[in-house]
Amino acid sequence: MAEAATNALDGRHILIVEDEYNIAIDLAHSLQDLGASVLGPVASVADALALVARELALDGAVLDINLGAEKVFPVADVLREHGVPFVFATGYDHWIIPGTYADVPRFEKPVDTRALTRFISK
Amino acid sequence: MNEETGRQSVSTPPNSTELLQLVMESATDFAIITMNKQGRVTSWNVGAMRLLGFLDDEIIGRDGDVIFTPEDRAAGAPEQERAETHANGRAQDERWHVRKDGSRFWGSGTLMPLADGEGFLKIMRDLTERRAAQEQLRESEELFRLLATNVPQLVFRTRATGERTWGSPQWIVFTGMSFEDSMGFGWLDAIDPQDRGPTTAAWTAAQESGEYYIEHRIRRAADGEYRWHQTRAKPVHKQRSSESDWVGTSTDVHDMRGLQERQKILLAELQHRTRNLLAVVQSIARQTIRASASLNDFATEFEGRLHALGRVQGLLARDDHSAIDLRELVEMELKAHEDRVEPGKVRIDGPKIVLPANSAQALALAIHELATNAVKYGALKQALGKLDISWRIESADGSAPHAVLDWLESGVEMPDAAAGAVRKGFGSELIERALPFQLRADTRLEFGAEGVRCRIATAIERKGTADG
Repeated sequence: MAEAATNALDGRHILIVEDEYNIAIDLAHSLQDLGASVLGPVASVADALALVARELALDGAVLDINLGAEKVFPVADVLREHGVPFVFATGYDHWIIPGTYADVPRFEKPVDTRALTRFISK
Repeated sequence: MNEETGRQSVSTPPNSTELLQLVMESATDFAIITMNKQGRVTSWNVGAMRLLGFLDDEIIGRDGDVIFTPEDRAAGAPEQERAETHANGRAQDERWHVRKDGSRFWGSGTLMPLADGEGFLKIMRDLTERRAAQEQLRESEELFRLLATNVPQLVFRTRATGERTWGSPQWIVFTGMSFEDSMGFGWLDAIDPQDRGPTTAAWTAAQESGEYYIEHRIRRAADGEYRWHQTRAKPVHKQRSSESDWVGTSTDVHDMRGLQERQKILLAELQHRTRNLLAVVQSIARQTIRASASLNDFATEFEGRLHALGRVQGLLARDDHSAIDLRELVEMELKAHEDRVEPGKVRIDGPKIVLPANSAQALALAIHELATNAVKYGALKQALGKLDISWRIESADGSAPHAVLDWLESGVEMPDAAAGAVRKGFGSELIERALPFQLRADTRLEFGAEGVRCRIATAIERKGTADG
């Protein structure tokens, strides 16, 4: 399905935080198709933080903002500290996202997986 | 030359008779009238002529009482005035008077006895306009009071500093603070403590801008609730703003704010939900493609899933925050197949269980998969098949209550491996993996000898949601 080279993400470790299974799995498949090694998907902040703490070689992350009652921002903060690039994949408009994350690339749902993978493989 | 003329024009002071004559002639705004003891006019200046309309020869020697209104004359007002003059040395004459042409004016004057005791002197001005202005002022003050005490807003008068000088009865009723306690800065006690800083700061700003504006919470005495108000004030005399009187109102905007807030959230949620739904549709399509042997196959499966999604959206859209009854969900999915289900094959049993709105979508899809499978291959297809759907609430030692749903098919002759395998794709992944993933549900799916057996245990009150 992806137009990018099938090995564009070869060996990269990408974290997926997304609480909708279908979307998470679908995205995971797409990334794996490009050779990425997917971490997760996980559906909660706690699970995500545990993974981040354990995984040393993290190359990037795709974060859904709304994880049920909680928001993904604590994960975003930790990734920033570690210098790990990440993007938001969300159904929310930019105005509802705190200003501190204004510079984070945002992919509107439904996410164009090709655009997302192209962005990540850059 | 000019100097010469100027010097020569200096005249000697007039004697008192001359002086009186000068005053009487030049005081054209004053009616100056002398009368004899009997009240007959003996002199009448230019001012009197202008004010009352009678020429000298029309009035001299006549009864001076003609300038009184008929009703005052009937009531003996002229006599009372003269009597008062005798008693007190003067009498105030403030009343409506009549001109020669019958028109009336508000005359304000004094009646005094003449020095020789042989008559009276009346000096009078026309104050009709001033009186009208005063009347208007009184009326507008009355109007202000009427408005200020009857509008739903809390009205107040204040100095430019915010020191209050008057509060309407509505303020007293709403805040429960007495008039006296509200004066000065006492009214601040009724403002939510966290809004007091901005409230006083806004008064400082108002002295610059000439207009006070703030949204703050004011305590309602009836129930202690701090309710949002929009408070505005403006100076009455703008040119002297430092000492001027300000008038202000506080309008209860609490409900409106709540509605606006709610509307904003609803809109954001709607957008979020719509986009998320599209994302779900997208991923269902992809996964259905992966598990489909042909385009025909895909069309049937995908359409079925879209319909199930559509049905549960219908329930969700009923009211944005209402939860959904599990029975409603189960019956809805079976009803979708009602043309293919013989009566008596299905038994549904369980207490009322309210599902969080966010679990409903995933559960509806799961039940759809089970029902479709049963209709195609299982209990709802085969003559001897029976389907038993039941649920109960379980709460294992202090943990959050769970809804445990059992889907039990019996009397089913299991289809060949190939048919089962097709169904095993999307549906089983949904039940065995998606539900645990997004609802933290505990699930079990078996293709037993008698038919499909499935158990789904999911928290009833859980914080997480199935959307993102």
